[in-house]
Amino acid sequence: MSRIAIVNGIRTPLIKAGTLFNNIPAQNLGTVAVRELLEITELDPNLVDEVIIGTVANPPEAANISRIISLQSGIPNDKTAYTVSRNCASGFEAITSAVEKILTNRSQIIIAGGTESMSNIPILWHKGLQDLFAKFYKAKTFWAKLSLLSKIKPKYLRPRIGLMLGLTDPVCGLNMGQTAEILAKEFGIRRREQDEFALESHKKATLAKDKLAQEIVPVFIPPEYRRIATEDNGPRPKQSIEALSKLKPFFDRYTGTVTAGNSSQVTDGATAVLLMTEERAHELGYSPLGYIKDYGYTGTDPSHMGLGPAYIIPKLLNKTGINLSQIQLIEINEAFAVQVLASLKILKSEGFNINTEILNVNGGAIALGHPVGTTGTRLVLTLLKEMQRRNLNLGLASLCIGGGQGGAIMVEK
Amino acid sequence: MQKPVIWTKKDNIAVITFDDPELKVNVLSTPVMKCLASILDEIEADSTVKGVLVTSTKQDIFIAGGDIAEIKDITTVSSGMTKAKAGQVILNQLANFKVPTIAVINGAALGGGLELALACQYRVAGFSNKVIMGLPEVRLGLIPGFGGTKRLPHVIGFLQTLTMIPAGKIVPAKKALKIKLVDKLFPDEILTEEAISFLKQIINKTYKKSQPKKTFLERLPGGKIIISKIAIKKTLKKTKGFYPAPIKAIEVISKGFGDSLEKALLREAEVFGNLVITETAKNLIKVFFLNEKYKHHDWGLADIKPVSISKSGIVGAGVMGGAIAWLISRHNIPVRMKDLNLPAVAKGLETARKMYRYPLKTKKVKPHEVDFKMGLISGTTSYKGFYNTNIVIEAVVENLKIKENVFKELSKITSPKTILATNTSSLPVTKLANASKDPSKIVGMHFFNPVDRMPLVEVITTEQTSKETTASIIAFARQLGKMPIVVKDCTGFLVNRLLLPYMNEAAYALAEGNSIEQIDTALTSFGMPMGPFTLADEIGIDICYKVAKILEDSFGSRMAVAPIIKEVTELGLFGKKTRSGFYIYKGKKKKVNPNVHSLITARKKTPSDILKKRLIYLMINEAGLILEEGIVTEPDTVDIGMIFGTGFPPFTAGLLRYADSVGIKNIIKDLKYFHKEFSNERFKPCNYLIKLAENNSKFYS
Repeated sequence: MSRIAIVNGIRTPLIKAGTLFNNIPAQNLGTVAVRELLEITELDPNLVDEVIIGTVANPPEAANISRIISLQSGIPNDKTAYTVSRNCASGFEAITSAVEKILTNRSQIIIAGGTESMSNIPILWHKGLQDLFAKFYKAKTFWAKLSLLSKIKPKYLRPRIGLMLGLTDPVCGLNMGQTAEILAKEFGIRRREQDEFALESHKKATLAKDKLAQEIVPVFIPPEYRRIATEDNGPRPKQSIEALSKLKPFFDRYTGTVTAGNSSQVTDGATAVLLMTEERAHELGYSPLGYIKDYGYTGTDPSHMGLGPAYIIPKLLNKTGINLSQIQLIEINEAFAVQVLASLKILKSEGFNINTEILNVNGGAIALGHPVGTTGTRLVLTLLKEMQRRNLNLGLASLCIGGGQGGAIMVEK
Repeated sequence: MQKPVIWTKKDNIAVITFDDPELKVNVLSTPVMKCLASILDEIEADSTVKGVLVTSTKQDIFIAGGDIAEIKDITTVSSGMTKAKAGQVILNQLANFKVPTIAVINGAALGGGLELALACQYRVAGFSNKVIMGLPEVRLGLIPGFGGTKRLPHVIGFLQTLTMIPAGKIVPAKKALKIKLVDKLFPDEILTEEAISFLKQIINKTYKKSQPKKTFLERLPGGKIIISKIAIKKTLKKTKGFYPAPIKAIEVISKGFGDSLEKALLREAEVFGNLVITETAKNLIKVFFLNEKYKHHDWGLADIKPVSISKSGIVGAGVMGGAIAWLISRHNIPVRMKDLNLPAVAKGLETARKMYRYPLKTKKVKPHEVDFKMGLISGTTSYKGFYNTNIVIEAVVENLKIKENVFKELSKITSPKTILATNTSSLPVTKLANASKDPSKIVGMHFFNPVDRMPLVEVITTEQTSKETTASIIAFARQLGKMPIVVKDCTGFLVNRLLLPYMNEAAYALAEGNSIEQIDTALTSFGMPMGPFTLADEIGIDICYKVAKILEDSFGSRMAVAPIIKEVTELGLFGKKTRSGFYIYKGKKKKVNPNVHSLITARKKTPSDILKKRLIYLMINEAGLILEEGIVTEPDTVDIGMIFGTGFPPFTAGLLRYADSVGIKNIIKDLKYFHKEFSNERFKPCNYLIKLAENNSKFYS
C-alpha cells in the first residue's frame, strides 16, 4: 500500500477572537490558507480532486464551507468539496478522511484543512421569538402584525450565545471547562501545576516565533488592507506566574482551578495541507514534509472528554507496534492545562511515560490559541515542520475531543 | 434568392421573420425596408390574420439598427429626411395594424430595430444577456429617425426616455421589463412559442397592458419643461457643446410629446436630415467603423491560437500593479501579486479594492462578488506561485536596470511557457527581451492610467516576440474588455511618444509666459477631455518628467524636456497625488498653483489658436515619423490609439483624420513658421508629411 504524503502545508496566523480577524468570516480565512497552499506548491488547481475542510461552527451563510473555500481559491467548478466535523478533531478528520479517500483510490490529490472564526459564531434568538417572526412575515394585516409584536416576552430578548452552545456537550450537560474541572478534582491536579504548564506554553511559543513564521502566510486585513497579520497574537512574552495565579476560576468560581489563563484561547484561523500518494508526489517533483504512518480515534466518557489522548495514544501505539520511546516529537493539544496533565498522569500509570522535553516544543493552544476546527490540521503541520527542522523520523499528534473522544495521528519522514 | 424578411401564417397568426442571408446581423437597409413594406401589404390584405409576430432567427440579434453604411453616404438634408420619412411610413403602417402585433426580441434590438419593435403594440424578450435594447443614434451624432423619439416616450414615459435617448443608453432585458419597454420576458429556448400563447391571450382579450407609472414631476403642469431643461443642462455638462445630437434629441422628444404623430415625425425627420450631413456625425460614424474594425482586427495572426490565461502574476504592487490586479480579478482570473515588502503589497490590494467602489456604487458588481474577486488576488513578497502562471505583468518603477533585473529573475522562476509582459510606459521592450532567457516570450502590455477608465492597451512587440505571444496578449486584453493595438517597439511606443511632446510643448508655452489656465482652455475648447496641465497633474508630474526624459535620451534635442517641468518636479509638486502640481487641489476644487507661475517672469498671451496648433501639429508631425518608421502601419491605428488612449476628441474622428481635414499643406506651413519662430527642430516637418504634401495626398488617401 502506498504511503500518503503531506506534501506541504500553510496556515494563517492564529489570531485572538475579536481582534484582527474579527470581520473575516471562516470561509475567507480558509480561502487564504488553501489559496496560499496552491501558490507555495505551485500546483495546477485542475489536479485537485477534492477539498475537505473541518470546522465546528459552520457559519450559517456558508453551508458546506469547504465548497465555498474550494471555489474561492480558484479550484475549478468540476472538482468536489465537503465539510467534516469531529468537534475539536475536525482538522484531524479532514486529513484522515483524505487518507481514506486516496487509499481507496476515490481521489488522488486532496487539500485538507480546518477553519474557524470564533469571532463570528452568531448569537441566536430565543425560539419563541423565532416562531413569532415566522408568524409575523405570514401575517397579512397591519393589526395582525401589531398584535404579534405585543406578544414579545422579555425572556425572548435574552440572546443565546452560539459560542457557549458550541462548547457545551448536551449529553452530559457540561461545557468543556466544566469537564476540565472534573479532571482537576478527580486527578488532584493543583492550580499551581496548571498555571506553570500554561506559562511554559507561552515561553515556548514566544521563543518559537521565527520557526512558526515558516508555516504562516501573512493575511492582509480587508477592506482597507492596511493592517497585516503576520504572526500569532496569542503568546504573551511577558506572561508571569504571578499574573496567571491572580486570575479567577472561570467555570467554577468558588472551588475551581481552571482559569482563562490555563485554558486554550478563543481564536480565529485556518490551516491547509496537501495530500497525495508518495508516488504521485514524486511524479510531480515534490519532496513532501512527511507521511501519515497511521491514525485512530477512540470514544470516552463525555464528562471526561479531556482524557481522550490518554486512551488513544496507547491504542495507536499497540496497533502500529511502535514503542513510545521511538516517537521523537509529540504534540498534544492544550485544550486545558489540566486535561493534558491528567492525560499524562494516566499514560504514566499505564507505562507510557511521555518525555515532556519532546512535548509541544513550540508551545500549544494555551499560548497559540485553539480555533477548534483548525487545530487538528495545525498540530500536524507544526509537528511535521519541526520534525523537518530537527530531521526526525517519527512524530505523534493527539487531541481530546468534546463529546468524549480522543484522536491521534502518527507521522513519519 | 432568399429574401431578408419573410412571413408565414399558421393558425391565423402571421409570423414575420428577419433573417438576412447576406449578412451576419439584420439591419434595416433600404432593400430590407422595401421587403418589409410589401410583406406588411400582404398581411394587411389577408383578412384571416388575427395577430402578427415580428421575429428574427439570427443568433443573439433581433435587428441591430439602420444601415450605417447607407447613412454615412447621405450628403444632403433632403435625402436624409427622405430616408427617415420612408422608414416612418413603413413603421406607421405596422403601427396602424388593427390586429395585435408583438415584437419578439431574441437579442440586440438597437436603433431602427427597437423603433420597429416600438411600432408593434407589444414587445416580449428573452432572458439572455445578449438581449439588449436602446436607441444609441446619438453616439453617431444622429437622433432616431424612424419614429423612436415619438413612440418611446409613450411606452416608457417621458422622463425615462430622456435618460435613454440623449445618452444613447442601452438596457438589458430585465431593466427593459422594469421600465415597461417590454411587456413580458420568456425563456429564450421557448421564446417564440410563449410569444404565440401571449398573442392568443391578447386576441382573446384576457391580457391587460399596464401603463408606465408617471413620476410626480411628469404629472405636474409644466413638469415636462422642467425635466427637459434639467436634461439639457446635464447633457451640456457632459458633451461640453461638442456634440449637438443629444440636445437636439431632447428638443425633438419634448416638442413631439404633445404633438400629433404626423407633426412629431416630420420634425424628427427634419432634425435627422440636418444632423446626418454634419461633420460631427460623419466623423462619429468613422469612429464607429474604426471601433468595429479594431474590436476584431486579427493583426495578421488569424491562424495563431492564443494561450488561454488561467493564472496571472504581477510584479510591483504600485498604482498600476494594483489597478491591473483589479482588472484581472474583475474578470475572475487569479492573480499573484508580488512586491518587495508586505506594506507595499498591502498598498496594491488597497488600490484594487478602491477600484471596486465605483462598480459597487453603480451596482455593476455585488458585495459578495467583490469579496470573491478580491480573494482572487493573492499578495506575496516571494516568487512562490509564479511558476505556473500563464502570464506575468511587470509593473515596477520606470527604471531600466530594475526592470532588467526583474526580467532576469522572472526568466529563472517562471515556466518556459509563461509570457512575460512589461507595463512600461516608455522604456524599450527590446532591452528587457535581451535580458531574458527566451525573448520570444517578452512583450509590452501597456495599460493606461486610470486603468478602469482608459480602454486602450498597447501591445508592444520586439523583433523577437513570437506570434503566439502577441496573439495571446491581444486575446487577453480583449478578454479584459480592453482595446489592444499592436505597436512595434520604440521609446514611448505610440501614445506616449505623441502625448509627451504635446505636454512638453504646453510647458514651453508656459515658460514663455502664457498662463496654465489659458493653455489648458485652448486645448479643452479644441475638444481634449482635459488640458495638458490637468493631465500632467493626474498622471503625476514626476512621472511625466521621467518619461519625457526617457524620450529625450532616446530621440535627442527634438524632444528636449522643457526646463520648467524639471523645476516643478524639484519643488516636489507632483500633481494631484501631492495635492499640488500645476494646480492646487482642495477637496473637489482646484485652482492654478501660484507657485508655478512665480517661477516664470515672462508674460505673454499667445492666441489660443496658435497654442492649439503648436500642441496638436507637433503630435501630427511625430505621427508621421511613427508611420514612416513602421512603428504602426496604418493611420487608423494612430487614430484609435489616440481616441482610446488619450480621449482625443472622437468628433474629429482622430488625430490623423483631423490632420487630413486641416490639410497637410496647411499643417506644414504652420510647422515651418513655428520652426522659424522658435528656431527649434522639434517643429521641423518630417519627410512623411512633406511627401504627402508633394503628392497632394493625405494620411487617408
